[in-house]
Amino acid sequence: MTEIDRLREFRSEVPESPGLDAEEARLRAAVAGAADPAAGGARRRFRFRGRMALAGALAAGAAVAVATVAVAVDDPAPGAPGPIVRTMPVAHVRVLQQAADRAGEAPELHPKPGQYLVIESRMMNTAEVNGADGQVKYLYQVERTMWRPYEGDSTRAVLRTTVLPPKQWPGRPIPEEARRGVGETSTEKAADFDGRAEWLRTDYAYLSKLPTTAEGMYAHLYTGLGTGPEADAQAWQNLGGMLTEAYLPAAQRAALFRAAAAIPGVTTVGRAVDAAGRTGVAVALDVPGTGIRTEYVFDPDTYDYLGERGVVTDASRAQAPVGSVLTATAQLGVRVADAPPPVR
Amino acid sequence: MSMDGDDASHIGRSRDEPEAFAEIFRRHAPGLKRYVTRRLGADTAEDVVAETFLAAFRQRHRYDLGRPDARPWLFGIATNLMGRHVRTEVRQLRVLRRTGADPVAEPFTDRSDERVSAQADGPRIAAALAAMPQGHRDALLLFAWGGLSYVQVAEALGVRLGTVRSRINRARRRLRAELGEPDGSARPAIVHEEPVHD
Repeated sequence: MTEIDRLREFRSEVPESPGLDAEEARLRAAVAGAADPAAGGARRRFRFRGRMALAGALAAGAAVAVATVAVAVDDPAPGAPGPIVRTMPVAHVRVLQQAADRAGEAPELHPKPGQYLVIESRMMNTAEVNGADGQVKYLYQVERTMWRPYEGDSTRAVLRTTVLPPKQWPGRPIPEEARRGVGETSTEKAADFDGRAEWLRTDYAYLSKLPTTAEGMYAHLYTGLGTGPEADAQAWQNLGGMLTEAYLPAAQRAALFRAAAAIPGVTTVGRAVDAAGRTGVAVALDVPGTGIRTEYVFDPDTYDYLGERGVVTDASRAQAPVGSVLTATAQLGVRVADAPPPVR
Repeated sequence: MSMDGDDASHIGRSRDEPEAFAEIFRRHAPGLKRYVTRRLGADTAEDVVAETFLAAFRQRHRYDLGRPDARPWLFGIATNLMGRHVRTEVRQLRVLRRTGADPVAEPFTDRSDERVSAQADGPRIAAALAAMPQGHRDALLLFAWGGLSYVQVAEALGVRLGTVRSRINRARRRLRAELGEPDGSARPAIVHEEPVHD
């Protein structure tokens, strides 16, 4: 018996004709909704981990796999205990409170339905290529301009990327393949599908209706989460999702920073340099099990949000020296436009 | 009800008549459900399979009608969705490796069934699967359990054929090494903890 035969035997108890009633019912509801547009309520959003835009942008480079620093927290099992009564702890992170206090100072944008927010950023992420010598890691850098519709998910957004020269994974040479495509610009649909849960939406129409109190925003950050370090880490990631390539009105932004200041375990780590080389102050929380902490960087004078970083805290888990920066983003600018550029 | 025609013809028709998509479900949902159940267990599989068909239905306008068989497309969507559950998958494999009891297969096991003993190498297979990078496990299992050809695996994962070959070869090597070890002396498998992309 070959190893493939033995693998085929493995878990072969799982029946050939499994029950499919629940799946069929959900599909039928969607089909009925499509057949009768008036029945809009039948359309469901699909749940999916965020950052589809990134995956979409990089799917073009076939051999390139990209790892984002995100924690996958499983949905509560069916039959799990009911809703958790959540009380926001006392906020303790001064940098975030200062960022909240200053949130109203920058000129505010007022996009209208049908318009687009145009967000420019720079991003560094981990990548690996499958070469002759196995997988080789390096750090991929890209400049991004995102046209995000006033309302709607990433499948309606347009993303222009320009590939920047790669950086080496700490202590390893840059593989030759990593230099392919450097300098090239492409303009594409930002994502082929975006099944984010409703509460992870980051379009302006949604964000501008979120609570403007710290307690309300705290509850929003923990939607669907349990308690404990994994939940805190996911709430911390959710914060990043709302800050990266998204735009919140000042009131929600202030509430978000005050809520984030109360997430247990968040610390101030001081000086940090973002993906565009700007120096700021950072606040951080560890992502359990990864050996990496996620930092959010703020301008030391204006407390404007600058960007996000993934910094190694455990060398063996992260396979890089403690303190090295494996991922980084820098938010460079945001404006309003009436239409995105054409997609080829 | 007899339905002729390849998958592409039904998907094409469903663009104007959404109900035609039901045929795609009828043909492929059982196989897909079994595949996802074997990887993640029955509870999670229900969610993943439902979401796979909803996503496929929404994307039907962009399906390449030149591809008669929809399985690589469907298994590709399911693989993306399963990416959210890597931790669950690996955790269950580790439980099996450690305890010999398989949380995934258990609910389906008939107590009088001697298959339990036939699957004495389950813990070692689990160790090998848990230890390989997610991309290798995806390729290996799409081939071995999903019944996709190498070309279809490449299509499903959106990677080159050469990549599929090398991933499956390396996954098989790991599996062989694990199965070749005499019982009880298996090296502790090193599990790839790197966060995975979406």
